[in-house]
Amino acid sequence: MGAVFFQQLANGLVNGMGYVLIAVGLTLVFGVLRIVNFAHGEFYMLGSFATFFAMSLLGVHYIVAVLMATVVVAGVGVLANQVLFRPLRREHEFTILMVSLGLSLVLANGGELVFGADPKYISSPFADDAVELGSVFLTWQRIIVLVAASVLICLVYLFIRFTRMGKMMQATAQNREGAALSGVNIDWVHTYTFALACGLAAAAGALLGPTAVIFPTIGEWAVLKAFIVVVMGGLGSMGGAVAGGLILGIVEALGANYISIAFKDAIGYGIVVAVLLWRPAGLFAPRQ
Amino acid sequence: MRRFVFPRAAAAGVAMLLLVPLAAVGSYFQHLLVMWMLFALMAVSLNIIVGYLGELSFGHAAFFGLGAYTSGMLTVFGGVPFWLCLIAAPLVSGAFGLAIGYASLRIKGPQFAILTLGFGAILHSVFLNWVDFTNGPLGITKISPPRIPLLGLEISGGIPYYYLVLFFLLVSAYLCRSLMRSRTGRAFIAVRENDMLATSLGIDVFRYKLLGFVAATMMVGVAGCLYAHYLKVITPGLFTLHYMAPMVIMVIIGGKGTVTGPIVGSLVYVALLEVLRASGSMRMLVFAVLLTLSVIFLPGGLVSLLPFWRGQRGGARQHD
Repeated sequence: MGAVFFQQLANGLVNGMGYVLIAVGLTLVFGVLRIVNFAHGEFYMLGSFATFFAMSLLGVHYIVAVLMATVVVAGVGVLANQVLFRPLRREHEFTILMVSLGLSLVLANGGELVFGADPKYISSPFADDAVELGSVFLTWQRIIVLVAASVLICLVYLFIRFTRMGKMMQATAQNREGAALSGVNIDWVHTYTFALACGLAAAAGALLGPTAVIFPTIGEWAVLKAFIVVVMGGLGSMGGAVAGGLILGIVEALGANYISIAFKDAIGYGIVVAVLLWRPAGLFAPRQ
Repeated sequence: MRRFVFPRAAAAGVAMLLLVPLAAVGSYFQHLLVMWMLFALMAVSLNIIVGYLGELSFGHAAFFGLGAYTSGMLTVFGGVPFWLCLIAAPLVSGAFGLAIGYASLRIKGPQFAILTLGFGAILHSVFLNWVDFTNGPLGITKISPPRIPLLGLEISGGIPYYYLVLFFLLVSAYLCRSLMRSRTGRAFIAVRENDMLATSLGIDVFRYKLLGFVAATMMVGVAGCLYAHYLKVITPGLFTLHYMAPMVIMVIIGGKGTVTGPIVGSLVYVALLEVLRASGSMRMLVFAVLLTLSVIFLPGGLVSLLPFWRGQRGGARQHD
């Protein structure tokens, strides 16, 4: 009983940190650029496929492939921002949401065309060996997810809190015109934010990829989970994304174990609905 | 001027819709016409939320699925006749629409879109995984076609089904048009354009939004019922983005906030789907690009081009 509980808690924590890693980018892009990016999940998908192809075509080590995927997909994100979102900055949020949905469909279907629809497996060298921590078993891959995600989230937090660019991002999030008037280069802030967000999504895809098979429509799953997390935590709040991701991961894992594994997803969404009925703007909604 | 022009145009449009099947040779072409009608009904209902209320619901496919499953399960498991299913489907969809709308219409904009996406995902997950109740991923098969009670005639396939769905499409389109000319419709527009101002004028924004949302979910419940009895096979895939994305594409490409826009949009969708059939997964790519271009360059949709053809720039938008 106790052993199963702790095992599920650990599984939930790992999954939850994965959700956090995807969701933080989504919430950053919303907070700073006011864009609800439907295509965010596709950057997760691109991250996992970039890792797969870096390993299979270039023959590099998994760790190197993860880093390459992160950088390349961050670049793709910057490109998407320059080509699509930057020219539309003054448009209605509805237009931008639709455009991001269009981009998401383009990337998912384009991915299916280029990568093939069949599932692929990233053969990480850490996926097979398990570690025993007391009564809890975890593969090295899952421990890497936990550690890497925690480190990345801390780094992003420190970046936003203490660096010059991070402070400019905060200023833009609070008041775009005001920030621009005080000399903040909004274009650069947007570019950095997009690079950061897409890089994080790609890193999530690269790290979580080996824990299951990957396929081109996986982005739909990723963006749905990330949406659920950020809506629960409060759109635009980083603390909310962390809390929301961990809650969702742990509730899903415990619900799967104690209630029904088939309704794992429904239980997770049910929690979100309960939270939103109690606080419609989310747990940590930033002041508007 | 619009008052004078529109009824004549509408009459011409209806006459065209009534006569189209005469030109339809071959059962495949007839099948496409029925699919057009079904998609049009879905798009018209989504348009109430997207075009009139100005909110984006990503859960609309779930209500479509609810209507289809209500109808399919009643028919196959309970032996209930089609006409009763046709009443039950919108009631079930509408009841869920009321509950979900009540919970999610307190928030608006992107959060609302995401929340409805979440509700849709819950329903999908339940219908996919509750195997004892819904048959799970296998779906419901062998749904019998509608039967006319006294004559014992079956309405199946091709032209008869086209007219059946067309009837509901025309009723829905007419309801939408009357709605938008009523006080309630004007209240919808006020809510869409500026909800703060609407509130200050004494419009109960939440109530009107809920009204529109429930009406739209009931309408798509009817579409689900008609879909189930036409294709005879339904799966939990109906609840997902695979049906949601096309609906959004049809409304946006055709022209949101107009009566004819969604019908034109669904025609374009069904036609392009056929033209591009050979290109396999390129199809959705083309639609995605079309959606993106349409949103950016033609926010009024295809129907906003019509006045330019007629050379009357003044009446460019019907309901704005």
